[in-house]
Amino acid sequence: MELRIAPQMSVMDKLKILGAAAKYDVSCSSSGSSRRNDGQGIGNTVAAGLCHSFAADGRCISLLKILFTNECIYDCRYCANRCSNDVPRAAFTPDEVCELTMEFYRRNYIEGLFLSSGILYSPDYTMELLCETVHKLRTVHRFQGYIHVKAIPGADPRLIQRAGYLADRMSVNLEMATAEGLRAIAPNKHRKNILKPMRQIQNGITENKNEITLYKHAPHFCEAGQSTQMVIGALPESDYQIMSVAENLYDKFSLKRVYYSAFVNVNEDKDLPTLAGGPPLLREHRLYQADWLLRFYGFKVDELLTEKRPNFNIAIDPKADWAVRHLEKFPVEINRADYQMLLRIPGVGVKSAGRIVAARRFGNLTFEDLKKIGVVLKRALYFITCNGKMMYPTKLEENYIVQSLTYQNQMGRGEKLPFLADGTGYRQLSLFDMDGFDDKRTIAG
Amino acid sequence: MEEKYLICEDSLEGIFTGIYEAYALREGHTHVHMQIGEEENLRLFATYRYIPPDPVKTDKVAQTLKRRLGEHTYHALCRAAASCYRDKGEAVYRTVVDALTAGSGRRVMENLKNPHVARCFELARFTANEAHYETEFIRFQELAAGDSGENRILFSKIGPKNNVVPFVMPHFADRLSIENFMVYDENRKLFGVHPAREAWYLVSAGEDFNLQEFPLSEKEEKYQELFRAFHRTIGIKSRENKKLQRQMCAYRYQDYMTEFAQEGKNEA
Repeated sequence: MELRIAPQMSVMDKLKILGAAAKYDVSCSSSGSSRRNDGQGIGNTVAAGLCHSFAADGRCISLLKILFTNECIYDCRYCANRCSNDVPRAAFTPDEVCELTMEFYRRNYIEGLFLSSGILYSPDYTMELLCETVHKLRTVHRFQGYIHVKAIPGADPRLIQRAGYLADRMSVNLEMATAEGLRAIAPNKHRKNILKPMRQIQNGITENKNEITLYKHAPHFCEAGQSTQMVIGALPESDYQIMSVAENLYDKFSLKRVYYSAFVNVNEDKDLPTLAGGPPLLREHRLYQADWLLRFYGFKVDELLTEKRPNFNIAIDPKADWAVRHLEKFPVEINRADYQMLLRIPGVGVKSAGRIVAARRFGNLTFEDLKKIGVVLKRALYFITCNGKMMYPTKLEENYIVQSLTYQNQMGRGEKLPFLADGTGYRQLSLFDMDGFDDKRTIAG
Repeated sequence: MEEKYLICEDSLEGIFTGIYEAYALREGHTHVHMQIGEEENLRLFATYRYIPPDPVKTDKVAQTLKRRLGEHTYHALCRAAASCYRDKGEAVYRTVVDALTAGSGRRVMENLKNPHVARCFELARFTANEAHYETEFIRFQELAAGDSGENRILFSKIGPKNNVVPFVMPHFADRLSIENFMVYDENRKLFGVHPAREAWYLVSAGEDFNLQEFPLSEKEEKYQELFRAFHRTIGIKSRENKKLQRQMCAYRYQDYMTEFAQEGKNEA
């Protein structure tokens, strides 16, 4: 079959259309893969990933994120490329994608390629195109940088297998947290079809690890693992539902990352909400914070949220929220507490907890030392003691601490949120109930 | 006792030679201090000694530090020595004393209770962070010298606060091993040069050097345009947040970056 979508279009126009069409895909990370250059072509990968630029919305640009084509046979309600939309359509050729990737990469604009696609003719046909493109990039151009390829749900498992051996990371988007949600919003997609390639990739990675232990030079299969994304705020799912799904994906599907994407009603679909205050950015931010707590801080979803309390307090971060509801565990003595407990103190991160454990071998730490170590004292001071003393006398009382923390946030002196100054998201904070606030905010001492 | 100030050159050689001389004095370390370059206000009751950099002594110090403290700590000290702050000499010297003489050894960088170690740690982190940002934000341009084949040259100009070129080069030497490329630090007039398939090296251009604009290759403009277009289209309008963009990628980097160059002109 031949591609007949606007063949006369210039690469510039295609890039504009297919770059714009890919922008709602959140994943742009280039991490998880570490590979040195072999001296035959260009490229290597860095385990931590590199962000090469930042777009006007402040999100990082790490990969050349494009759709192969925005032609699509599906009609998902949230998607700008659904077949019932009258938008300009375009398709790259494999050579054009290769050329763009190589030339951008040489100039250090990008860390690699993120290739997704609308469904052209059929899932198999589309997946085949993606495979061909990536294969060309790896073999003809000897590109050794990062490649992220979408697994098209419903495509032949052999094609997905083939793509996995060429790519660093693969992903299948879950789209909605619940199966019912997906059915309502994307009539052509089925939960089962999404989980199937996800499981296949997971098994592929596990088998490949065993292979590599046996044969050192065996080819790598999705070295950087797989990721997925969920749309937030299009349907009335609770944070508890969303986080439980995420936890399941981490535990049962060994995913590297779950991304959350604040819903933007691009189609102005009448059955989907129009969100007056813009996309629910603050909620998205809280979910990411909780996601970090799951992955790096040893928290479980059931500790953070319950059926009875299914949503995060949007005014303070999930970790502080957990801490004020578990005051019986505080204050924590910095010089004695174990690493796991240090991690649970608001204002102490993975790095500073590690530094505390290392530095206290040389002597007792003081608040002054903690400051140098990088602990955020204005948040931590309610929860810690150094050598048995608090920084200054404060009440260990839920309401008092919550109010002090939210007051700091309100004044712009507390938590650094990524979107306060430009207005977006700030209004959501000022809705917070402020009764009896003023007389308590002065901090004793 | 009288305070002694060793005045060292602003370079890794300068600082390491200074450390060698400080130990060679055999007077303990309480009253010996290190200073980078001349200071305007001289202290009373202090003697000043100028220490010229010496490659042999530098090498001895480097070998000792590597052997006794390990590569990891040694590199942290090198990063601190590449800092743009003048108190780096004293910080690095005192950290070495803490490691070798006070006995914290390989773990010295963890002893953040010691204010000099904390400062050295801070300086090293600043250099490491900036080097990391530069590996991300460096933009190469293809020069006209070789539009085709083996002769093509990639060139990049940066203006970092710290001396990061030596820390940035290994990354690109691996990644772009088959390319000829140069990274030019405009603040230090320092070139990092990598000929294709060979080892990279540094060239100091000297104080009076003025960089001439090189003519660009034929296709260069096209790819710059394409990337600018991509950069514009990938942002989501309803999430626009210039402050966050600036926070993640400071203006001082944006000044050297292809995708921001044009934007500035359009606004003006």
